[in-house]
Amino acid sequence: MSDIIFFLLAGLGLGSLYAMLGAGLVIVYRGSGVINFAQGAFAMYGVFTFDEARRNGYLRLPWFDFLPTHTVNVPVSIKLSDEGVSTPVAFVLAIAMAVLIGLMAHFLVFRPLRSAAPLGKVIGSLGVMLYLQGVAQLNFGGTGRQPEAITPDGVFQNFLGLDKAYPQGAFWAVVLAVVIGAVLWLLFQFTRFGLATRAASSNEKGAVLLGYSPQLLAALNWVIASVLATLAAIIVGPIGGSLTPIGLSALVVASLGAALIGRLTSIPITMAGGLLLGAVQSLLGFWASKDWFPTILSSGARDVVPLVAIGLVLFLRGKKLPLRGTVEEKRLPLAPYPVRIKQHMIVWSVIVIVAAFLFEDAGPRSVFALALVTSLIATILMLSSVVITGYIGQISLAQLSLAGVAAFIMARMMADGAKLTPDGAVIPFPVSGPGLPWPIAALIGILVAVIVGVIVGLPAVRIRGVQLAVVTIAFAISLQTLYFENSKATGLTAGAPANVKPASFFGIDLKSIGDRGLKDRPEFMIFVLVVLLGAIALVANLRRNGTGRRFLAVRANERAAAAAGINVSRTKLLAFGIAAGIAGIGGVMLGFNQNDVSSAGFVYQASLAYLAFAYLGGITSVNGAIVGGLLAPAGLITVTGAYFFADAEIENYTAILGGLGMIITAIQNPNGIAPTLQPLFQHFGRWLRAARGPEWAAAGKRLGPTFVVGAVLGYLVWPLRVETYSQFWMPLLGGFLALMARGIYKQARAGGHGAPPGAHGAPPVAATTSTPAPAEVG
Amino acid sequence: MALLKTYDMTVRYGGLAANADVSIEVPAGKLVGLIGPNGAGKTTFIDAITGFTAISSGRVEFDGKDLAGMTPDRRAHLGLVRTFQSLELFEDLTVRENLLVASERPTWWSFLLDLVRPPRTSPALEARVTGALEALGLEGIADRLPMDLSHGQRKLVGVARALAAAPKLLLLDEPAAGLDTVESQLLGQHMRGFLDGGTTIFLIDHDMGLVLNVCDYIYVLDFGRIIAEGTAAEIRKDPAVIQAYLGQSAGEMQAQAGESVAARVSGTETGGATHG
Ligand SMILES: Nc1ncnc2c1ncn2[C@@H]1O[C@H](COP(=O)(O)OP(=O)(O)OP(=O)(O)O)[C@@H](O)[C@H]1O
Ligand SMILES: [Mg+2]
Repeated sequence: MSDIIFFLLAGLGLGSLYAMLGAGLVIVYRGSGVINFAQGAFAMYGVFTFDEARRNGYLRLPWFDFLPTHTVNVPVSIKLSDEGVSTPVAFVLAIAMAVLIGLMAHFLVFRPLRSAAPLGKVIGSLGVMLYLQGVAQLNFGGTGRQPEAITPDGVFQNFLGLDKAYPQGAFWAVVLAVVIGAVLWLLFQFTRFGLATRAASSNEKGAVLLGYSPQLLAALNWVIASVLATLAAIIVGPIGGSLTPIGLSALVVASLGAALIGRLTSIPITMAGGLLLGAVQSLLGFWASKDWFPTILSSGARDVVPLVAIGLVLFLRGKKLPLRGTVEEKRLPLAPYPVRIKQHMIVWSVIVIVAAFLFEDAGPRSVFALALVTSLIATILMLSSVVITGYIGQISLAQLSLAGVAAFIMARMMADGAKLTPDGAVIPFPVSGPGLPWPIAALIGILVAVIVGVIVGLPAVRIRGVQLAVVTIAFAISLQTLYFENSKATGLTAGAPANVKPASFFGIDLKSIGDRGLKDRPEFMIFVLVVLLGAIALVANLRRNGTGRRFLAVRANERAAAAAGINVSRTKLLAFGIAAGIAGIGGVMLGFNQNDVSSAGFVYQASLAYLAFAYLGGITSVNGAIVGGLLAPAGLITVTGAYFFADAEIENYTAILGGLGMIITAIQNPNGIAPTLQPLFQHFGRWLRAARGPEWAAAGKRLGPTFVVGAVLGYLVWPLRVETYSQFWMPLLGGFLALMARGIYKQARAGGHGAPPGAHGAPPVAATTSTPAPAEVG
Repeated sequence: MALLKTYDMTVRYGGLAANADVSIEVPAGKLVGLIGPNGAGKTTFIDAITGFTAISSGRVEFDGKDLAGMTPDRRAHLGLVRTFQSLELFEDLTVRENLLVASERPTWWSFLLDLVRPPRTSPALEARVTGALEALGLEGIADRLPMDLSHGQRKLVGVARALAAAPKLLLLDEPAAGLDTVESQLLGQHMRGFLDGGTTIFLIDHDMGLVLNVCDYIYVLDFGRIIAEGTAAEIRKDPAVIQAYLGQSAGEMQAQAGESVAARVSGTETGGATHG
């Protein structure tokens, strides 16, 4: 008994961190209707700023040097002293940084997004999270840090007569949380500012009547949330051990649990919920070591509890949660009716097959083969987001986890406990299993993914919008900790990958790794291509048939859909099932590509990134998924960039650029990239078909100067930073970039976007009848 | 035979009885109207019949079946199809697709076919959709998106969508709101056309001219209660109805139906109701 009490109390330390972050989430949600997935990242940047100033005497600013020169640089850090500043100074700096980040988040991201669709806001806050993580990795390094605690670090011996030593840090953390909770409560309950904020959260006019600008209130609330996060992390963070950018950002999940317990409205209940979650987690951690505890849960119970809490609370409260979005719910971009699927497929197939043979055995350029395969598989995964988010409007952040389910199940189903492959290679971590042939194993994997997908979709029956997004993250984390990382469930030694046997087709080997140990086998790439084309056909057919129409009807208006005779719940579950099946296909292909599956490939953060890139590409169309796949981590565009800019170490910037891309897309171009590019491509295609000698000459005359200017600039500017490849590639790239800039400029001046591209039926008639002037090409 | 019958149906929102002991009857093949001032509970009545809001007490029978506990989509399949007062079209679908959604009756395995086969709709379905488009004169805009249409056209698309579901009973919630007089008269003609096609209609509207002109039988609702019922001629004379409408402030009256309501109700408008 005294053990139970002690461990409950011991968890209050971490619980107070959840409580304070959760309070910040509530404040932001009330102030601007955003569920701030970056709350943990705010805390992270704050505590690292503090530690860096105190330890090394540097103030690291939350941006990066984007100028491509060695001579002119953007200041990214300020040196304050040689051997670190005093604690109070560091503290003030960290708080100032928190204020700055809060203001930046509001004015640069969420104010522009204030009337965006819920998905846009989710993507915006994920973008902020990714951006801050990326900047932190550049500024502070990705490795763990152990900041010195500023609270006394002793222990209370024989605490409360429980016969155990209780860390003083945890005690002070709780005290702080309670004090802050009281202050916040007083602030929001009894001051004019608090009254206005509460008024504004139900009705913007309310705040105006009280003489406040709603946007000013929102900004102040962002600042409060950010400062709160920083404060919590500085004081409580160190008791959790070593801190990493990723680990701290992940705190947002448990904090969301607390915030949802408080219905995203009540700060006191949220904080109590946070403390409770911490306490229960600590107790479960203690119980997990006991004999009677189910061993399959012992490694994951601690992390899954907050998530179960989130799911249950939300589900039980059904649609009663206050959700601002429901009042002025903005729509997702149009999901255009796909046209000329076959022609597109043929063109892409030819390109990919040529590439498959071109990059076989191509020395260092073989990296392109691997990148292309990665992009093709990522496209499959993003097609699953197109179905679940693009077509039926449910924000699922668990699609990659579902892919993981399929991959792990397949690996297990084809395992037979052998220690050697048929060619005699050693299998490092053999697992026993039924040893099924690959097609059956893959099919079972996909089917299990479908079943799990439908279960993930169950809450969607009663939960909508961003809250559903939170619940799907909860599922993603549960799958990760209870299955992928759980050696009891996978049969693997912790963290070890499971072997995947290569596929074969009527005697043709479909291995991804060739004789030279490189992943550049054309057979495999064609295998992936065929599977991708199949997935594209499924998703395109879906949109053009009754099921897709019903999905879009549900997405547009659930009430009207029900009135039209659609069973909304069943339709949502169907969509989750289909999307999970497609994700499962992607997961199986990931397995074949890597020759093994490991938990590291399916962490929930990667799931978030996939949704983000699908959004970037264009979440509502097959073309968007293709663009998203090209943009995906380790995909063709990243690898091409890294190849050309070898010295710029572009891979250090992927998180930052990805985050910025998400933010900019959410604000500027919520339709994604594909719908924007499509008219350009159509135009170019038509021109190519019509062009004869004179047209080419005219085009050369018009575009030549731009290209030359770009090439010269490329030659002059880029070598300042990028030493390799510059002589040849940089001018070429500069030339093409200049052409692209010209094209975008012309298009913008010609009158913006016009009709939604590719919408419904035939291409715009005017464009087909007149021969387009070459000036508009490119 | 009565297609729809309610027995002392009551709907409560908290303390407010938005419908109190409402008992009405809609005979097959007839056009029945429901009028009443703002907030009288007309939309609530349709919501309750179609399963969008729970009934506190009482009973609803449709086509001889008790509807208790049935979801809105099941009721739609039975032939009980409604439109919405506010514009609730599927904004991402073309007009034709909007109608297709309502008219298709998928089986549980439809999705498998839909995944693997190229687009296809059955001729019967096409005929139904085309028929509904023609009935409202919307053929010309079949491939447009709702957002490109005028308010009047969108209203008509809402009606056409309901019609495409092959309803036995079509419940129209203020279909003429926001239409001009000509459009509104045209709609009245269309409705008589639906009746000839075998569809029973239940009409809510503020446009007294329309309701009194086209309806075979009219119920009047005020503060959730039925205060009068009868043919158009009877309703025109009914003192309770005149009281309910004249009892409102002038501003409200104007907002809901234009200045001529009182005149129309008191019978100065001569256009006689068509009796069927
Ligand atoms: N979901 C709800 N919760 C609480 N009260 C409601 C709800 N829906 C409607 N009401 C109330 O019920 C009453 C009847 O509303 P209803 O919309 O049915 O009236 P109506 O006759 O359709 O009015 P209108 O002519 O304005 O369309 C009103 O007082 C309204 O405020
Ligand atoms: Mg109404």
